[in-house]
Amino acid sequence: MANNLLAGKRGIISGALDEQSIAWKVAERCVEEGAQIVLTNAPVAMRFGKINELAEKLNAEIIPADATSMEDLENLVTKSQEHLGGKLDFVLHSIGMSVNVRKGRDYTDLKHDWMMKTFDVSAISFHKMMQVLWQKDAMNDWGSVLALTYIAAQRTFPDYSEMAESKALLESFARSFGYHFGTRNKVRVNTISQSPTMTTAGQGVKGFGEFFNYADKMSPLGNAPAESCADYCIQLFSDLSRYVTMQNLFHDGGFSNMGMNPALLEG
Amino acid sequence: MSNIAEKVKAIIVDKLGVDESEIALESSFTNDLGADSLDTVELIMEFEKTFDISIPDEQAENITTVGEAVSYLESQVKE
Repeated sequence: MANNLLAGKRGIISGALDEQSIAWKVAERCVEEGAQIVLTNAPVAMRFGKINELAEKLNAEIIPADATSMEDLENLVTKSQEHLGGKLDFVLHSIGMSVNVRKGRDYTDLKHDWMMKTFDVSAISFHKMMQVLWQKDAMNDWGSVLALTYIAAQRTFPDYSEMAESKALLESFARSFGYHFGTRNKVRVNTISQSPTMTTAGQGVKGFGEFFNYADKMSPLGNAPAESCADYCIQLFSDLSRYVTMQNLFHDGGFSNMGMNPALLEG
Repeated sequence: MSNIAEKVKAIIVDKLGVDESEIALESSFTNDLGADSLDTVELIMEFEKTFDISIPDEQAENITTVGEAVSYLESQVKE
């Protein structure tokens, strides 16, 4: 349902790989709500996924960027403003990757050079992105910057491995940068802590299927689907959440406040 | 071993984090060397960069072993 919540707004959506991606659905909803967007992803992810299909469907420009490269991010922010015709109102960071997880290494036997890469791609990229937006003064007042995260930042989920620390770092960057962006530009910075979601990235986590079902039963409302997460992103990009900033917002069907759900014992 | 094969090996060691001794011409990227689907795309893009060529997706799909990579690159690259 479209309500023109983002009419006249401009934004950048990162991380749309294929139609399962949360970012893919966010991009679709942004356009439905009247925004103009630029899509971005890493060159390898673009080749791996189907972002071209999405760009065609939404008539959106793709500006490739390695989110660990300041040069690429500077190019992304400059070109996006040129293409969209002005400063930005919203940005979505939906980027994460861990070689240690992909290679199935035990948490007690991680390769630390890979860990550094995980942190760079999955968390420091968020700081880099905001720093470029800040230094280029690229955000409109009352703009909104969002990143996607997971509750493993606060609680222990063993198979999430070093992505837990990545998400803790990511959420911390949102709070710290939220101070600066709020003070100077009234721009808000938040993270959405989403239910486990059947995406390419999610399915890369060991035992994901079983875990997905567990979280679904534990949550009174069930796991929040990607489409609903996209709706929540739209709300947070819109003017209906202007004073929400520096928050980690759970979008998880109630999972984060549950202790035990009898439904889990009912086979 | 040809110059191309040497370079291919070095790329595989770097990208997949395997030991050079584990790599044979008949090694499959996914079955023997632990590559996932994203690794295989990264390998193809690294071959393109190193050898300054472009590998169409239809051709890339047929490159599943070290030997297949080496012979494809030898047929495309003028040394």
